[in-house]
Amino acid sequence: MATALTISPTRMELIKLKRRVSLAQRGHDLLREKMDALVMEFFDVLKKVQGSRTRALERLFRAYRVLSECFATMGTIETVESARETKRELQLEISSRHVMGITVPVIEDPKVERNALARGYSLYTTSSLLDETSKEFEQALKLLVKHAELEASAFAIGKELEKTKRRVNALEYILIPKLQETIKFISMRLDEMERENFTRLKRIKAILEERR
Amino acid sequence: MDRLIKLELSRLNVHLPEKRMTLREALSSSKPEVMTRNGGKHALNREELEFLAGLLPEKNWNELQLPILIAFEPKFGKSAARISGKAGAYVVSKILDKEEAEELLIYRPEVAILRKKLPTTTQYVFIG
Amino acid sequence: MNYKVAVIGDLSTTTGMALAGVPYTYVHKKRDETLAKLKEFFGDKQIGLILLTYRIAEELEPDFSQFMRSKSMIPVVLKIPDKTGYAPKVDELSEMIRRTVGTEIAVKEGTG
Repeated sequence: MATALTISPTRMELIKLKRRVSLAQRGHDLLREKMDALVMEFFDVLKKVQGSRTRALERLFRAYRVLSECFATMGTIETVESARETKRELQLEISSRHVMGITVPVIEDPKVERNALARGYSLYTTSSLLDETSKEFEQALKLLVKHAELEASAFAIGKELEKTKRRVNALEYILIPKLQETIKFISMRLDEMERENFTRLKRIKAILEERR
Repeated sequence: MDRLIKLELSRLNVHLPEKRMTLREALSSSKPEVMTRNGGKHALNREELEFLAGLLPEKNWNELQLPILIAFEPKFGKSAARISGKAGAYVVSKILDKEEAEELLIYRPEVAILRKKLPTTTQYVFIG
Repeated sequence: MNYKVAVIGDLSTTTGMALAGVPYTYVHKKRDETLAKLKEFFGDKQIGLILLTYRIAEELEPDFSQFMRSKSMIPVVLKIPDKTGYAPKVDELSEMIRRTVGTEIAVKEGTG
């Protein structure tokens, strides 16, 4: 192994390497726990995302259909004009929560639904179809807002999971085996050197005794 | 790579609160939230707070520190987590239908249930 | 904190969302102009959620992904289908699930 050869085989080096392995092992164990917890959180949010997506999009498509009826009946220009007159003051209350260092948004259910009068377009020139369209979009928007929170959470948790998984794998399959390999190499070299020393000493001793 | 490990390890618990908040404080706050170590804000959900208030006798509301910490410590066995603190262990034992104890040891499936019920009023800690 | 919502879409999407009370709507015409608008929305501290259609998001690539990578938690951005129901064949979240958990979980496509 290339790295094994670049390190000088000394006791000091061996101690240093053993310390590095134990840090890597500790890091691995903790990141593995984090990874498992992230998988759990990811699955949990995914379960919610699937349902919320289906519900929100169904509602949105219904709203689109009513809108195209409205375009056809009232006229596109007239509808767009009414939309321009509409009161558009929707506010969202957004805060955050933290899941293992990941910041995810929390959006309060917005007060989207209102009655025809509160919408602000002139009721003389508009048809009831416009009210219906508005109501449909209000409801679709309410579901989309909730879905946005869940989807953003899913992406954020998924991204962190991906990163953590990469780290865990790098430790488990690359760094730790490499360090262990190097430790083995140095231990063997040290043993070998010790044996060589021992034979050398024995030989010196024999020579010295012969001379006596 | 060693530096990277150290960085990851230092990042593990940055979401923890600088200072926790008691259930009573949280309930009386109009916008209950704790500051995290990395300067973020972590909001506590009111429905969860009310759920907790229903589980714990009112005289003990001062003792429950929020968020409740779910501590993973691989040294003491993988996939097991500790809940420390009498009041915290008490409410968790109620939720998971376990025997009461001063300190509770719970397993991953139980952690999943707990997290589902208390997504903002519990938090993970990793101790190495 | 209180935030506002912004929508970038075609005339149907923006009209519908305006009727629902969304304060900022922008009808997409030219790529460069829409990109500038998106940049403006991203920079506006009042805006907490941006909705835009999948079709426009695709047209704004690769800049759109670049924006998404560099943004913080807020504004939250959600891609939605336009009135034709258009959404890309490869769902980003499904891709992420495949990469991370390895198993294919069908994320239901809500085509209605």
